[in-house]
Amino acid sequence: MNVSITGAKILYTFPIKVPLLGRFTITETLLVSWLVMLLITGLCIWLTHDLKVENISKRQAFAEMLVEMADKFVIGNMGERFRYMIPFIAALFSTSVISNLISLTGVLRSPTADLSTEAGWALVVFVMITKQKIKTNGFGGYCKSFTTPIVVMTPFNILSELATPVSMACRHFGNILSGLVINTLIYEALALASAAILGLLPGLVGQIASNIPILSVGLPAITSVYFDWFSGCMQAFIFCMLTVMYIALEAGDE
Amino acid sequence: MQVQELVTLVPWTIVAQICNLFLQVYLIKRFLFKPINEMLAKRKAMADAQIADAEKAKNEAQAMKAEYEADLANAKDKAGEILATAQKTAAVRSDEIVKAAQAQAAAMKTKAEAEIEQEKKKAVNEIKNEIGGMAMDIAGKVIEREINEEDHRKLIDQFIENVGEQS
Repeated sequence: MNVSITGAKILYTFPIKVPLLGRFTITETLLVSWLVMLLITGLCIWLTHDLKVENISKRQAFAEMLVEMADKFVIGNMGERFRYMIPFIAALFSTSVISNLISLTGVLRSPTADLSTEAGWALVVFVMITKQKIKTNGFGGYCKSFTTPIVVMTPFNILSELATPVSMACRHFGNILSGLVINTLIYEALALASAAILGLLPGLVGQIASNIPILSVGLPAITSVYFDWFSGCMQAFIFCMLTVMYIALEAGDE
Repeated sequence: MQVQELVTLVPWTIVAQICNLFLQVYLIKRFLFKPINEMLAKRKAMADAQIADAEKAKNEAQAMKAEYEADLANAKDKAGEILATAQKTAAVRSDEIVKAAQAQAAAMKTKAEAEIEQEKKKAVNEIKNEIGGMAMDIAGKVIEREINEEDHRKLIDQFIENVGEQS
């Protein structure tokens, strides 16, 4: 029995080749991403329909709690002047969490198990950090900061600057991918084990029963508590926290 | 079916995911933050309005209280005034009554005195006449003869007059 863990499936490839970017392909990643977006937007619409000023429902209380949590997270870490960042952080966090957890359905592949997704996010965050740096120090100050403390350090400074988005993307991707790999391995191993045990039954019964991975029920649920639930929520939180922290750090004190 | 490498960077996917992220930002802003924040603003406005109303009501109540207190003080003053006036009037009236009573009493006294005087005179005259008669009778009996009554009466009257003056 072979276990193969591959990247996302390519569902459709556009025939036109664009220079630099190559052919546009619709992959599982994109499809599930759109599903995630639909889910989040649908959830938002469901949560905020029929809002009342007084005598609110549990659903509305939950929506308000979410908004207040996002407000508190961003303003508490970045200050009042970054109020405009709240929707971005909220979108980043919710997309990340839902993308990570959608693999729990068993049929859908997490979009976050594709490095391109995290690379895109990290690129956006990197642009934001750089923009904030230029805004705080001016363009000259930004360029000059690479030569500190001495000119010889410039290549290392550039490297460390690039290391930020790379590490952010790879951290998130690595955690989700490792979860995916380990879960796949556990499932396959348990299926093999149950086939081996049930294969001991005599005759036709044994042949049919050995195809049912009976041992796969139970244990993966426990391991997925860590690899999917905890890791999924944790990585989303870390990604957002790092975004917030880097930008706030570069903004300096008002 | 074709599959991607497990760890690979696909430029188009990166671009698409960046677009997706910003689309999601817009969607979450439009469908979660906007309605909730609007509702929260509305709630805040309502709370503010209620506080303002309460403040206004309080101010009104205080103004009314001040007004009532002023009215009460006014009423008290007026009552005091009325009382003072009434006391003054009563004093004046009682003085008048006393004066009138005194005047009446004085008048009664004068009248009574006049009456007494008259009675006295009347009595004196009666006594005079009696004494005169008696004196004439006595004198007649003494001298046993009738004297001219007219003359004697003059004499006796003179005599009594003298007695009256002396007594």
